[in-house]
Amino acid sequence: MSAEYRKRVKRWDRIATWVITGGGMAVIAAVILILLLIVRVAVPLFESQEARKFWGSSNPSTIEPDTVLAVGMDDYLETGVLLDRAGRFTFVNFADDSTIGEIVLEPPYESPSEILAAIPHHGLGYSLLWANGAASFARVVFSRDHHVDRPPTTAFRVDTLAEFAPPEDGLIPIRTVTRYHDGRATRADLLHDNRIRVTQEVEETDLFGNVSRDSHVSVLDPAVGGEIADIFVDTEGLALFAGTKDGYLMRWAMRRVGTIELTDSLLAFENNRAISTLSMVFGDVSLAVGDEQGGMTVWFPVRPDYDPQRRVLSHIHTLKSHRGPVTAISPSQRTKSLLSLGADGELHMDHMTSNKHLFGLRPESPIRKAALSSRANGIIGLDDAGRLNVWAIEGGYPEATWGTLFGKVWYENYDEPAFVWQSTGATNAFEPKTSLVPLVFGSFKGTLYAMLYAIPLALFGAIYTSQFTTARFRGVIKPAVEVMAALPSVVIGFLIALWLAPIVEVHIMPFAVSLAVFPACFLIFIVLWQPFRNLKLARHIERGYEFIAFIPIMLLAGVAAYFIGHFVEDMLFAGDFHRWLFEDAGRNYDQRNCIIIAFGLGFAVIPIIFSITEDSLSNVPQRLTAASMALGATRWQTVWRVVLPSASPCIFAAIMIGFGRAVGETMIVLMATGNTPLMEWSIFTGMRTLSANIAVEIPEAPVGGTLYRILFLSAVLLFILTSIVNTAAELVRQYLRKRYAQFQ
Amino acid sequence: MHSSSSNKLKTKVKRSIWADGDPFIWATGAALTFTLCMTVILMLVVMYNGLGVLWPHQISLFEMEDGSFVAGKIMQWSEIPDGGGERVQLKVGNRDLYSLDFRWVPENDIAEITFPNDAIALERREFGNFYGFLQELSLNDITVPADTEPWEAFLSAWNAAVERTQPIQALSQEVQRLSREMERNRLSRARLEHQGVEADAPKMVNLIEEQSELRAQFDETLAEQNRKTAALRQETAIFADAGGRTREIALVDVVRPYRPNTMSIPAKVGFYASKLWELLSAEPRESNTEGGLFPAIFGTVMLIFLMSILSFPLGVLAAIYLQEYAKEGSMVKAVHIAVNNLAGIPSIVYGIFGLGFFVYGVGGIVDSLFFAERLPTPTFGTGGILWASLTLGLLTVPVVIVATEEALSSVPKGIREASYALGATRLQTLRRTVLPMASPGIMTGFILAMARAAGEVAPLMITGVVKLAPSLPIDGQFPFIHLDRKFMHLGFHIYDVGFQSPNVEAAKPMVYVTTMLLVLIVLIMSSLAIYLRSRMKKRYQMGSM
Repeated sequence: MSAEYRKRVKRWDRIATWVITGGGMAVIAAVILILLLIVRVAVPLFESQEARKFWGSSNPSTIEPDTVLAVGMDDYLETGVLLDRAGRFTFVNFADDSTIGEIVLEPPYESPSEILAAIPHHGLGYSLLWANGAASFARVVFSRDHHVDRPPTTAFRVDTLAEFAPPEDGLIPIRTVTRYHDGRATRADLLHDNRIRVTQEVEETDLFGNVSRDSHVSVLDPAVGGEIADIFVDTEGLALFAGTKDGYLMRWAMRRVGTIELTDSLLAFENNRAISTLSMVFGDVSLAVGDEQGGMTVWFPVRPDYDPQRRVLSHIHTLKSHRGPVTAISPSQRTKSLLSLGADGELHMDHMTSNKHLFGLRPESPIRKAALSSRANGIIGLDDAGRLNVWAIEGGYPEATWGTLFGKVWYENYDEPAFVWQSTGATNAFEPKTSLVPLVFGSFKGTLYAMLYAIPLALFGAIYTSQFTTARFRGVIKPAVEVMAALPSVVIGFLIALWLAPIVEVHIMPFAVSLAVFPACFLIFIVLWQPFRNLKLARHIERGYEFIAFIPIMLLAGVAAYFIGHFVEDMLFAGDFHRWLFEDAGRNYDQRNCIIIAFGLGFAVIPIIFSITEDSLSNVPQRLTAASMALGATRWQTVWRVVLPSASPCIFAAIMIGFGRAVGETMIVLMATGNTPLMEWSIFTGMRTLSANIAVEIPEAPVGGTLYRILFLSAVLLFILTSIVNTAAELVRQYLRKRYAQFQ
Repeated sequence: MHSSSSNKLKTKVKRSIWADGDPFIWATGAALTFTLCMTVILMLVVMYNGLGVLWPHQISLFEMEDGSFVAGKIMQWSEIPDGGGERVQLKVGNRDLYSLDFRWVPENDIAEITFPNDAIALERREFGNFYGFLQELSLNDITVPADTEPWEAFLSAWNAAVERTQPIQALSQEVQRLSREMERNRLSRARLEHQGVEADAPKMVNLIEEQSELRAQFDETLAEQNRKTAALRQETAIFADAGGRTREIALVDVVRPYRPNTMSIPAKVGFYASKLWELLSAEPRESNTEGGLFPAIFGTVMLIFLMSILSFPLGVLAAIYLQEYAKEGSMVKAVHIAVNNLAGIPSIVYGIFGLGFFVYGVGGIVDSLFFAERLPTPTFGTGGILWASLTLGLLTVPVVIVATEEALSSVPKGIREASYALGATRLQTLRRTVLPMASPGIMTGFILAMARAAGEVAPLMITGVVKLAPSLPIDGQFPFIHLDRKFMHLGFHIYDVGFQSPNVEAAKPMVYVTTMLLVLIVLIMSSLAIYLRSRMKKRYQMGSM
């Protein structure tokens, strides 16, 4: 053996040591990597949203700040727009701080070109009240033109969508809200004598293309509540709101043209706090109320306990207060966020569902007018000095807080706070409901029923296999159970959902009574068996063949359960259990319910618990059982008093691992639960589990969005849950292995 | 014990029945019986429903009391839920005529059931099976010998029509080739553009010229294909359903015509074999509810293969480290805990990890480095077979580790010591003695890992499996192996066809067949693993004695 050869061998040995050690480490690294990655995706969920100031005009604008009625901005954060009293829209380019255009509105109905009041709405719409009492609804439209050879350019125009003639009674209002939606123009005037005048104009085209116009004027006189501070009309002109200086809120329904009904009139604040401004949250369900003490509250109609027929405007959310009176509220058109402006010139951004205060903006010079861009990605504000300030809104997931993920939240159109999972809806204005509680509940519910079913079967089966049957059978049963473990969960899910579930639905009572019939048959059999125990054949059977002898008993019990079950159903439930359950017990029967899940998940979990338990029971040192037997204990006494106690930590570990598997199992629950995120313990209903929820929702979740990150968060939950369980199980097994080592 | 009264002795005996615990032994036995019965029943359900699907069942013709006729395949008899006797579920097919595949017929309404010899079943390219009778042929170009029996004439015409599809298929392949060429041309131009090459550069001009040539060829070939197809579709036959409603069906739309009522047993066996072959080798039809499973089988096999490349080396290395290299201590404990955690993480968490790390993380980087010209269309930045296999590879590592560890630990210590005593290094001992002896056990681990991978669906659903993949991940186009492609999978096929298809009832037979196939694959693999393991155990039991 040359020295060269020896050197080479040694070198290779060293390299192999590194490589192999690296492989071992890689496993730990993989576990940590998986956890870190899913945590990394989930964590930004709790980052706060920020507004970054990215532009401020250097020189005060040529326009007097006092004459500016409203400001606005396009979605690309490139162009700002100012509306002044002369009815002129001035467009400002942020890049070079220059005025790039002016559009002067043609006053309607020969009015002098002076605007008395303007109310900004979302999507750059403006309610304008002109000097002679005429009103209009105008919208600024930015359009983006893409070019091959140069960067895209933005063009702009102003569309006047609706015009209202000066009122016939000649009363010029204090402020006017105008709305235009789908041929329906609505105007609400707040008059000096504390009345509200509503003008509704409907344009309808009949089958023959004839256009008919219908116009109605109604005057509303709210007798109570004191002086009205602000009025507001929703986007479609279907509801009118008013808030008074004595703290009263009023709501009128205007669904049908010409009939205006007062539906709510209530004292909003106990201490008569004066209301200062009203607006509607995106979706036109919730009313945002700002008051003179700086309070920001959100209200929506709720069915009260005393009268389930009605819906009453109720105080739902309280957002962060301003230091001074709230002067304006601008709702986001993407989420349920609200931008509010205080009299002290501070801006607040808050999210309604989560009550989360996203950020506050307090520039050196107080802000007087402010607006959100329609994609809610930027804020433009005009300060006291007449300068424009632009902030870009970045990052953050306003909908998600620990409160919305794990607490009860009062969602729009709900009558009380609830745990709800409903991540997407039909419209953009849908309020995402992302409580993980129903999903965690579903996971535990399914697991619980499955474990109730699986643990006794698996443990008893393992005890029998390891202690009582012959070695020959053990050699067959163990592989058979391993084969059972190898059955893909998609196969189990398919079979229980499409084969078993319809059968159980029809024969539910036989399944129910079999819980009693099987033990009864068992006891009867044991009693009947006693006289035969001294026979040679019987003794032979009692030495490891019991489980075969039991097959005919099981079949008999099954047949008995079938007939008894249907008999019971006829006797107690008039032959139709489902109808009884629905009509008399008030519960639903889902075809894919917990019974099915217990079977399916149980089927997946039994082999796991069985194998680990069987191994640990077989590993109990022979000396212990031999000593027990020698002292005269029977077979069962030995198992019950000696084998089981000494293997109990491992049995615990087996149950833990089975639990971990059941909690995380995806395909079976995906196929056989119906995936409805309910929160009830009924065994006849389905559920939605954390794992199935991930599988259902992740293909639809936009990458990096709130839902995407929430799903990663639920994966983190699953990971941690199963990690705790598996680590505990492994520690127990390591401990036991050490203890048994002394016997060898 | 000290009592001598027979009465007392009797009670003692009676008590002892429960005290010595034999009923509990029976109870444990009962639990085992129940578990095993459940497994057997599930297997039987799969086999019973799966095996019969491909068999040519008889077509029964029902004459109803009101004089109307219904024909179809009897699915099941059952009791009418609200009483009133039995009813029979018929698969009536002819979805284009009735819009429903199945129909329940009350037994009381049936006057007579017959099995007419001339009843025919057609498997078609669309609208499912047709059950009815042949009326006449309506041929254009194809001629059939005169004075043949109508069915024979139909068969020969159908065979001729099928033969004539071959040139059309050649044309269709040509169309596909041209469209691929055009796509490649487009990508080359996109790459050049991305590199900043001007539109009037000679390279660019050449490409544009080539593109217009290709386009002309493409249009011409496509037109030719359409013309020939239209001509062939003129060759039709007219069929009537049981009620006499007729339907003209193009011969090329018929996949498989047969008359089950006249088939002999060998003919039926032959039919079964041909269906089985179609199942294993053909593409799916009718939104996966008919036809073959070849792409799904192929996808499953390739997935397992790719997964093995990651999972096996990592698993074996880790196991060798644990058994042969690491010293007993907290490190080994930590790795063991890690392995158990890895084994216990729900598969959907692996899936979401694969999505976040492989697909959007690594895939996104690969795309921005190598396929930037194709963006925003992702190449590797979307689910594909590579990412799915890597995810599964990670998932199966613990299976390999556990089995390999077991195999290594069952190699008797004396053998290692003998090797060291002869002066071998650790690596030499490992390579020359331990690994060869443990190899069946390691094999077992591999097979178990593959079985696990074959049955796992949840992580695939979010890392690249699709219900219908247009092309296989391996084909004749450069670079031949397309790891970025989406793929089909047997397990997902079950979920998709059984739960996502619009007509679940009609899809069920296909799902049962797929289930049977998957169960067979998994069972054969795990049985093989168990057999190998038991054989290895026996060998070492002998060796250690």
